[in-house]
Amino acid sequence: MSAIHSSQLAFFAAHAPFDRMEPGHLLWMLERMSLAYYAAGEVIISPEQGSVERFLVIKQGKVNGEQSVAHATETDAWLELVAGECFPLGALLAKRPVASVYRAASDTFCYELAAADFNVLLGMSAAFRDFCTRRIANLLEHSKQLIQAQYTQSSAEQQSLTSPLAAIIHRAPVTCAPDTSVRQALHLMHESRVGSMVAVDGQRRPLGILTLPDVLERIALPQIDLDQPVIGIMTTQLTTLPPQALAHEAALAMAKHGFRHVLVVEDGRLVGLVSEKDLFALQRVGLRQIGSSIRHADSIAALQGVAADIRRMAHNMMAQGVAAEQLTQFISTFNDLLTVRVIELESAASALHDTPLLQGVCWMALGSEGRFEQTLNTDQDNALIFTVPEGKTADDVRAQLLPLAERINAGLDLCGFPLCKGRVMASNPEWCLSLEEWKRNFSGWIMHGTPEALLHASIFFDFRALYGTQHLAEDLRAWLSRVARDNTRFLHQMAENALVNRPPLGIVRDFVVGKENTLDLKLNGITPFVDAARIFSLAAGVTHTGTIQRLRSSAEKLNIHAAEVDAWIDALLFIQVLRMRHHDEMSGQGNADAVLDNRINPERLNELDRRILKEAFRQARKLQARLALEYHL
Amino acid sequence: MAQQQRLAAWRALPRSDLTQTLASSRCVVVDVETSGLNLLDDRLISIGAVALVNGRIAMGDSYSVVLQQETVSERSNILVHGIGGNAQRAGIPAADALLGFLDYLGRDPLVAFHVSFDETMIRRALHDYLGLQFKHPWLDLAYLMPGLNPPLGKIHRSLDDWVSAFGIRIDARHDALADALATAQLLQVAIVQADKKKAFTYAGLRDLEKAQRWVSAVS
Repeated sequence: MSAIHSSQLAFFAAHAPFDRMEPGHLLWMLERMSLAYYAAGEVIISPEQGSVERFLVIKQGKVNGEQSVAHATETDAWLELVAGECFPLGALLAKRPVASVYRAASDTFCYELAAADFNVLLGMSAAFRDFCTRRIANLLEHSKQLIQAQYTQSSAEQQSLTSPLAAIIHRAPVTCAPDTSVRQALHLMHESRVGSMVAVDGQRRPLGILTLPDVLERIALPQIDLDQPVIGIMTTQLTTLPPQALAHEAALAMAKHGFRHVLVVEDGRLVGLVSEKDLFALQRVGLRQIGSSIRHADSIAALQGVAADIRRMAHNMMAQGVAAEQLTQFISTFNDLLTVRVIELESAASALHDTPLLQGVCWMALGSEGRFEQTLNTDQDNALIFTVPEGKTADDVRAQLLPLAERINAGLDLCGFPLCKGRVMASNPEWCLSLEEWKRNFSGWIMHGTPEALLHASIFFDFRALYGTQHLAEDLRAWLSRVARDNTRFLHQMAENALVNRPPLGIVRDFVVGKENTLDLKLNGITPFVDAARIFSLAAGVTHTGTIQRLRSSAEKLNIHAAEVDAWIDALLFIQVLRMRHHDEMSGQGNADAVLDNRINPERLNELDRRILKEAFRQARKLQARLALEYHL
Repeated sequence: MAQQQRLAAWRALPRSDLTQTLASSRCVVVDVETSGLNLLDDRLISIGAVALVNGRIAMGDSYSVVLQQETVSERSNILVHGIGGNAQRAGIPAADALLGFLDYLGRDPLVAFHVSFDETMIRRALHDYLGLQFKHPWLDLAYLMPGLNPPLGKIHRSLDDWVSAFGIRIDARHDALADALATAQLLQVAIVQADKKKAFTYAGLRDLEKAQRWVSAVS
C-alpha cells in the first residue's frame, strides 16, 4: 500500500527528463525512491565509496561537484547542481566510482534510486534512457523547441532547412530529349504546368535547363525560330546536388549562383528538381533575392540596404529555429558575397578592375570571418596577400594596393562591418604582404612565441581566401600546416595561452559572473573551443578554418573519441545560439549592431537554458583538460 | 469478524525495539486532518503517513486515507484541508481505514509535530470504531526541535516556522500526506543534529524530547 502525493509527481513533471517519461514509469520510479537529507558540507558521494550505488535527483538545496583527482589542492567547485538536476549519470552508466566529490552546499534533500532500479528504468523508459545517454543532445532538443515556441510567428509546417533534398522533391521532373524543338518543349511545359524543363540524354543525365523567365529573354524577345532544338537556348551550366544534401545547401547554392533551381542528381542521373518555391520557408526569407541584389548592387549605398536585409534574414532564420552552425554559415556566406561586391565596386572605381595588378592578389578573411563564424556584430578582420611581379619590389605593389584597400575597408565599414580597432585590416601596411613576407612573419611568430605573436597567431592563422587569386592563400595554408605541425614548442605555448581563459564556473554561485552579474559568452564560452580547435588542427595538419570542421577532422588524427567531439560541438553550438539570441533581442530593443555585446546575465535565462549552459561550460572544461593532457600542462 | 481477526493479528505483532539505531530501523511520521481543533468533539477526517526506513524516507512506503464521514464538516473547516463534502462521504469506512493504517504501521514507533493532537485524534478513533486501547510510542518534533536548536526554539513555534528554517517546502499545506512528508524531512534534519548529542536511537530522541519538555515547563 503506497500513496504518492500528486505534488511529488508535479515536481518531477517540471524537470527534464521526467517530464517526458510515461506516468506509469514515473510512478514506478517514485515508489522505489527514498528521500535522503544531507546537511550543508556533508559528502554525498565520493570516489572513495567505490562503484556508484544510487541515482540522485535533488529535491531541494544545492550540491557542488569538486574535482578531487587532478587538482587535489584546488577547493573551487567546478559544478553546481540545483533542484531538479540528477547525478552522477556518467559513473552510473559506466558502473564506476565518481570522479568528483559531491558535497551538499546547503541543507539538501535528494530523491535516491538504487542502481539496480536505475538500470531497470533505463531498459523500461526510452525517454529516460535517451536522456541519460545523450544528455547534452537532449537538453538541446528541449531548448530548441522552446526557442521555436518563443518565436510565435514561425508556423509549424515550415520546411526545415535540415531536411534532405530527397524529402523535398515533390514529383518527378519534367524532361525532354535535347533535340526536342523549342515549340514542343514549351508545349510540354504548358501542359504539365511546370516552370522549368530539363533536357536529359538516354541515361537520364541532365544536359540543360530552361525556365519560364528564360522564355521571355531568350525566345519571345529575340523572336527565335521555334523549330530549332531546345538545347541550343538552354542553360547548360547546371548546379547539381545529391539527394542526401540538405535544404540549406540548396538554398545556399541558389543564393550564390543566382539560380532558381537546383538539380538533384544521383550517380549522374537526374532524380529531381528543387526550386526556390519548394524551399517554402526559405522563400519568405528570400535568400536568392538577397544574393541577387548583392551581385547587382552598383554602389556602396545600394549594398547598405542589402546589409539590412541580411540582418532581417538572420532574424527570420532564428525564428525558424535554424541551427547556429547553419546560421553563422549563412551570415558568413552573405557577408562574403557582400565583401566581394565591395571589392569589385571599389577596384572598378580605382580603375584597377581586371588589371594585371589584381591578377596576383588575394583578399583574405581572418578571425571569425575566416572561420565562417560571423554573427551580427563582427568587425572587420582582413588582409591582402600578393605576388611580386618580375622587376618590382613588394613595396611597389604595396604602394599601389594600399589606397584601394583603404577604400574597401571604408566601404565595408559603411555596410555595417566596423573598422577593426586593432587595425587588423588590409589597409594596414603591416598586413598587406607578399607570400614571402607572410611566411617570414608566420615563421617569426612560431619561433619566438611571444605573447604578441600568440595573439597574432590566434587571429591570422584562421585566414582563408575570399576574393582574387585563391591559390596564394592556399599555398600559405599548406606551408603553415607543415611548419606548425613540427613545432611542438610553439603549439605548447599556444595551448598554455589558451588555458588561461577558463570557462566561468566557480565557487559561490554556479556561474562566475562579473560586477554586473553577467558573463561573456564569446570570451568565456566560445573562445575556449575556438582556441583549442585551432591548436588541434595545427597539430594534426588539418587545413580547415571552421572550428567544427577543425574539431571533427583533428579528432580522427589525434585519436579523440567521436562521441567526445560531438559533445564539444553541441556545447559550442548552444553557446553560439544563446549569443545570437542575445544579439537578436538587443537588436529588437533598438540597439545598433555596433553596440551589440556578448554579455548575458545567467540569472535571466530559463531553467533549462541555465542547465545547458552549465553543461556546455563543463564541456569546455573537458576540452581544455584534453588540451592540457595533450601538452602536459 | 474479519476486522477482529485483523486486529488480533496486529496485536500479536512483536513490539518494536526502540533502542535500535535509526539508521537501521523503521519509524512512521504521521499527520491528521480533522473537522476542527476541539480534541473532544471533532472527528478524524484523514490520515497521511510516510515511513523513515534506515534514515531515508521511503517514497513507496506511505499511507494516505480519507475516512468516510456521516456528517460533512463545516465549510470553514473544509477550506483548511480542502477535502470537500463529496470526498468526505466517498471516503473509506472508518474501521477499514483505521485497520489499513494499523497494517501499514505495524508496531513501529510514531513521530508527529504536536503529538498531543494527532495522538488524541487517532486514539479516539481507534477506540470508537475498533474498540482498541491504542498505547503506542510517540515522538514529538515540536519539543525535539527546540531542544536541538535552542536559539531558534525561542522564536519558532509552528511546523511552518521549523520547515522554513531548513528550507523545506510543503507542497500542499494541510494535506495530511504532504504535511507528513515535510515533518519527516524535519525528522531527518533532527536525526543528523542529534548525532552530535550521541543520540542515535528513537529512545535517545525521546529522552531529548523529555528533557526539553522539562525545560519548557520550568522556564
